[in-house]
Amino acid sequence: MSRVIAIASGKGGTGKTTITANLGIALAKMGQKVLLIDADVAMANLSLILGMQSSPITLHDVLLGEAQVQDSIYDGPEGVRFIPSGLSLDNYKRVDSERLTSIVSQLTDQYDYILLDVAAGIEKNVLSALSSAQETLLVTMPTSPAIADALKTKIVAQRLGSKVIGVVINFVMNEKGEISKKDISDMLELPSYGSVPYDPEVRKSFMQEKIAPVIIRKPSSPASQEISKIASRFTGVKMPQTQEAKKVGFLEKLFSFFKRK
Amino acid sequence: MVFKILKNFARGVLDDDTSSPIVQIEFLKDFLSKHKYVYSQNFEENLSILKKKHLVDSFLVTNLDGSIVVSSEGNGHTDGIMGTAMLSYIKSELPDSESVLIKRNDGWFMLFSLNKKVFIVKAGSELSNIELRALSIELESLLSLNKTAGDRKKLTQVA
Repeated sequence: MSRVIAIASGKGGTGKTTITANLGIALAKMGQKVLLIDADVAMANLSLILGMQSSPITLHDVLLGEAQVQDSIYDGPEGVRFIPSGLSLDNYKRVDSERLTSIVSQLTDQYDYILLDVAAGIEKNVLSALSSAQETLLVTMPTSPAIADALKTKIVAQRLGSKVIGVVINFVMNEKGEISKKDISDMLELPSYGSVPYDPEVRKSFMQEKIAPVIIRKPSSPASQEISKIASRFTGVKMPQTQEAKKVGFLEKLFSFFKRK
Repeated sequence: MVFKILKNFARGVLDDDTSSPIVQIEFLKDFLSKHKYVYSQNFEENLSILKKKHLVDSFLVTNLDGSIVVSSEGNGHTDGIMGTAMLSYIKSELPDSESVLIKRNDGWFMLFSLNKKVFIVKAGSELSNIELRALSIELESLLSLNKTAGDRKKLTQVA
């Protein structure tokens, strides 16, 4: 039986999708069978982060009843499996997001972890994703507006019967005015699953010819390391030391710089 | 190079004019405390907690024949008969229907069926099917807890 976990925040731009993608890959690297579902049916972009934007059958088709769920599952990096959401705005208007619960329940015996990347806000498709998951993991930033939205998401998730298990604090810069991990834990009354530092390597991962999540492109970067620790917290298994992507020499960097110009 | 490092260091340490928003932290702590829903031993009190938690004005649970199982307001016989009959008619015409939502001047009147019971909910704003289901499931589990507690009480009295 899978652990079905909704990754939600309420506020947009907190890094839910990045955390979902990288956490899923970290869990897969630890030998877990992982399925990622892009449950953000309106503003889907998990497929872009995974570098898998050209998927012919998507969650939209399944929610519309026009495709079988098994046909919408694709092989992602490091053995992760993935259900993308469609990018079409027409289909977004037509889909019945309430069918997500029955779709997820068809898959629970096939994976160790099913991670749902939930949209921002508390609209119908968010409610649907939260109620499809037994557990919810909140992602927030160390600022009061982000924490306020995480609080509301916690209340809504609990109302829908999803157990809120903890919080991941993202974009931590250790500035004086940042709200501390302890204060965030106290405010949300939740354990902290990790503090992911602000890491330019995450942003750079989107600026590649072939996009790959940071945990694959730079496994030794601070954000990757912290996400691996979060995965370890789930599994109780320590992340194996992975070979970092091939080191690029100074001359090679210089050459590619002039080539770009 | 050294100058750049020193400049970055100085900017990072000396130029950081930020401070923790203590007032907002206190406000948010207070916000959560207002949304805590802890059930007690008292069934009537639990019904009020459930109303607040699910943001509804009242609810009524009936059997399929319209007889009342529980009511948050302690009455509702007319609503029970009318709601059950209406849901039964709609289900006979549209067998796949899951819920019925009616907009009235004073808010929404919603019907939802689960496990051979009809849940009749009134609220200022409409609830989605997901929310109606969540409310019904929680209400059912409260009813079953109450029944178990009641049975236990009866057994103690007999003993």
